[in-house]
Amino acid sequence: MLDRFFYREKGLFLQSLHPLSALTYIAVLLVLALVFNHPLYLLGLLAVTVTAIKALDGIDAWKTFLRVSLGAAFVIVIVNAITVRAGETIIWHGPYIPVFGRLNVSLEAVCYGADMGLRLLDIMSIFCLYNFMIHPDRILDLLSRFSFKSALVLSLAARMFPTMVSRLDSIKEVQAARGVDFNAGTLKEKMGKYVVLMKILLLTSMEDSMETAEAMYARAFGSGKRSHYVRDAWRPRDSVCLTASLLAMGVAMYGWTKGLGTFSFYPRLAYLIDGLTGIVLLFAVIFLLSFPLILSWGWHNCPFIKSKI
Amino acid sequence: MKKLLSRILFWLGFAIIPIFLATAMSGKTSITREWGLAASIIIFGAVGLMYLSFELDASSPREIAVIAVLGAVGAAGRFAFAALPNIQPTTFIAIASGYVFGPTAGFMTGSTAALVSNFFLGQGPWTPWQMFAWGLAGSSAGIVKRLFPHIGRWGMAAFCFLWGYFFGWILNLWSWTTFVKPLNWQSFVAVCAASFWFDTFHAIGNAAFYLLFGTGFMKILNRFKLKMTVTYIGADD
Amino acid sequence: MPLYQIKNLTYFYPNSRKPALKDIDMIIEEGEFLLIAGGSGSGKSSLARVLAGLIPGFYGGRIGGSVFFRGKDIKQLDKRSIAREVGIVFQDPEKQLIMTSVEAEIAFGLENLGLPRQEMARRIAEVMSFLGLAELKREFTVKLSGGQKQKLALAAVLAMQPSVLILDEPTSQLDPVAAEDFLNLVKRLNEDIGMTVILIEQRLERCFHIADRIVLMEGGRIRFEGTPEQVARWAAQCGEPFIPPVARFFGKAGLNTIPVTVKEGRRMLREKFKPSSGDFYLKHPGVVHEEEPLLRMERVWFAYPDGREALQDINLQFFAGELVAVLGANGAGKSTLLKTMAGLLKPGRGRVMLMGGEPGSSVSRKAWNSCVGYLSQNPSDYLFQDTVEEELLYTLKNFGISPNGVVDEIMDKLSLQDFRHANPRDLSCGERQKVALASVMVTRPKLLLLDEPTRGLDYRQKAEMGKVLLDYCRQGASVVLTTHDVEFAAEYASRVIMMFCGRIVCDGPTHQVLSESIFYSTQIGRMCRGFADGILTPEEALAVLKPASPGKRERK
Repeated sequence: MLDRFFYREKGLFLQSLHPLSALTYIAVLLVLALVFNHPLYLLGLLAVTVTAIKALDGIDAWKTFLRVSLGAAFVIVIVNAITVRAGETIIWHGPYIPVFGRLNVSLEAVCYGADMGLRLLDIMSIFCLYNFMIHPDRILDLLSRFSFKSALVLSLAARMFPTMVSRLDSIKEVQAARGVDFNAGTLKEKMGKYVVLMKILLLTSMEDSMETAEAMYARAFGSGKRSHYVRDAWRPRDSVCLTASLLAMGVAMYGWTKGLGTFSFYPRLAYLIDGLTGIVLLFAVIFLLSFPLILSWGWHNCPFIKSKI
Repeated sequence: MKKLLSRILFWLGFAIIPIFLATAMSGKTSITREWGLAASIIIFGAVGLMYLSFELDASSPREIAVIAVLGAVGAAGRFAFAALPNIQPTTFIAIASGYVFGPTAGFMTGSTAALVSNFFLGQGPWTPWQMFAWGLAGSSAGIVKRLFPHIGRWGMAAFCFLWGYFFGWILNLWSWTTFVKPLNWQSFVAVCAASFWFDTFHAIGNAAFYLLFGTGFMKILNRFKLKMTVTYIGADD
Repeated sequence: MPLYQIKNLTYFYPNSRKPALKDIDMIIEEGEFLLIAGGSGSGKSSLARVLAGLIPGFYGGRIGGSVFFRGKDIKQLDKRSIAREVGIVFQDPEKQLIMTSVEAEIAFGLENLGLPRQEMARRIAEVMSFLGLAELKREFTVKLSGGQKQKLALAAVLAMQPSVLILDEPTSQLDPVAAEDFLNLVKRLNEDIGMTVILIEQRLERCFHIADRIVLMEGGRIRFEGTPEQVARWAAQCGEPFIPPVARFFGKAGLNTIPVTVKEGRRMLREKFKPSSGDFYLKHPGVVHEEEPLLRMERVWFAYPDGREALQDINLQFFAGELVAVLGANGAGKSTLLKTMAGLLKPGRGRVMLMGGEPGSSVSRKAWNSCVGYLSQNPSDYLFQDTVEEELLYTLKNFGISPNGVVDEIMDKLSLQDFRHANPRDLSCGERQKVALASVMVTRPKLLLLDEPTRGLDYRQKAEMGKVLLDYCRQGASVVLTTHDVEFAAEYASRVIMMFCGRIVCDGPTHQVLSESIFYSTQIGRMCRGFADGILTPEEALAVLKPASPGKRERK
């Protein structure tokens, strides 16, 4: 499992986007999830994200993200409930606690906590989408245009990592054959046995790193100004997705400055639907964000669209 | 010039979190303002500054390869101890490499370990925070070595111990700024209290790693540090 | 103008008092295929690094004398122009790959040269189609096989369009099929494109005949240089081991012209020697073992978590005094077999019994481990102590055995006494292999399991290893080893097991198994096939084959 990236190449439309347009899409989703706190907006974003995950065949893996999110959301509700004093509708008068004062739990705080739990789920799902959509290689490629050396370090480390994990297994076997029993002993003794594994791994890989450095030197690394090889093609679909994402961002920001998309919890909960403009804006944003999904549908189902984008 | 710029960027990246934290807690934050976005921008900015600083720093193929190896070892370490609950050597490895190879290398080691292991486990919103926290653990070890060359065994053990908590707190910053209101020290304490035991195990593990195996590890790293410096001697025809 | 002109070259590595190269004078012409051979520590790799500009550029150290590349002193050339002109492929494909994807790996060198985009795109496309890598374009480099990785390393160098290609033991980590592929490719580069090739090798069976010129090195000096025939004749006279078995046979037989390939050898045999009917070494009746086997495997199956069935229905018995070689392609299940025997992997079905008992029942884990010694493919995985001696004591301590002079005995046997207090990580590859072996043998296991123990060893080290293992067998232990080296198996093993896709396809006395096979046979075996069956080594051939008529025998 650790010998391959979390990302899986499935040859799907959303995976074929240029890293720049894919990354912009993800970034817009993420920014919107962070600036909006209106439950309906958050739900809308979640719907788009999960549909995209479904288009990428990733619902099973998303369930793991869902489980983690629900656990964390629970903690968020608790923390908000016990620390926030701004709510007016007190639903439980609790005891006095040293650091926090009297524990008064308000309905508003609980709702706010639940809303934040939704936001957490949004963010987790967006990252889940990112994991399925963008190949790590292409991120490294993008990064290497700005910060070549860091990209090189990351690329090297990513290449060595699977080898090291399997190396650890074989070192463990060797140690077992030399009479080390990994199941016996106190925690401290066990730790010692595992540290020996790390030590051998470190020694061997450090030795290897010198040879890697030599290979880099032999291939003219550090011999002067570099150029950059372009691997990814820019297609019409990228222009469309990039424009849609940026438009969605623009529309959302406009609405946000007008106070749309934010929901006031304190001192008392506001109305969930407050006028028509809010709803229109929500649909506009969702529609723009759905563009890649619509194209994805068209690409997979309509040969004409496929040949044009 | 480049070198100086690199230094400046490094310290900027280093200082950005405390400044942010102080602002967030200053009490001037109104209850309606969203800090989640700011926090995300700040953390990406901080990591970006550190990377830029590394980019400007001169580095040989040997340094690049060694940093990559240490990062990958740190990442693999996350799995090596899977059989022992709550014990992870990654923080310790970041600290050890920062201590031996200096602040910049320490940062790159720690952040590489975080990012690379997540290539295989899946990235999450915590990735940049992990990158920053482990990176900071590494670079602060390099700084500590410069400030206190005679810190000694117990001093370093305490340093490793503290990093167990620092790491947890930095990661908590994310959930705190994004999901909790109002931002004040009480709510931050509440978030940290939730992760208290986890952080304590982390801290004890770090200290134990250092006390039991610190010298052995540093010896290996120093051995290669010596090998990295190349000596040229003029030809004697 | 020669491509390289080397005058009086001497080189010391940093912190070293012994010269790695001493008084080297040589000329390398454009378009030549030059083979540099020699044992480990002979300076052949250092010479390659001088030619590639890595010494002193990367290594530092002290260099004397001069090296001219196309008439220019190599010291005056800047790093980029050397890298552009001279490409080098190293031993281990694992350590020379840098990027995560195949395409990026090839692009890496070109980007470093600062080439324009159009140019890069063309070169990458060209080299990928030439080497058949196009389909792997986006593949994660970790997922490639060893042979593919080495091909990729070659592609990455070729894309830089060097005029000289240096290869430092490029096939030592590959299995025979991949190695053959790789060398054929190199030959094509030399013949079709006219690229100058400098190949460093210690296994010469495959590349001896394709070289235009051979340089033999020893102790940092050039010992002999000439065409393959000249070298073969000279080496046969001095009894040097660095020639292929066919050449060794004809050299020792005292012929004037010495063939170096099986094809030439067969022709020569038909002309000059009497065919011998009868299977010489096949007559030995199979040894009938009456005693209890040391280890018995009954219907053993093993599957990895990903579902790959690495062992399928294995039934084997191993007896004291046997030296068993397990042959087979990569992925045939050889290593899995050894690990199952060592008790490191638990069979899914079936039983593995050590001296009649199973682990966990009558034989405890610890007792099992101390009866079975296991040496993995990477000797470095064993070395982490500060001295060689501590390495041996560590194993003893784990098993709770008191040293009692056994450390001295093992060190003597493997001639490690000089390194007793040395850090094992400072030793060469061959010496490390011995230390790892010593740390396994120190418990005197009844059954010694070795996974590719001859990989990366030169002729002398192999012979030494073979002798140690034979000697150990005579003391009543059983040795089982996996190898790709058929010559080694023919020389030392008493029994050969052939594996294919997790199954045992053949099991029997060495001579029987190897002379029945065409591909898994020795060079001499293939040469004598149909002429005098059952002969595998030059020594056997010398003893059996007699010249056609005494008068035709040429003078020495």
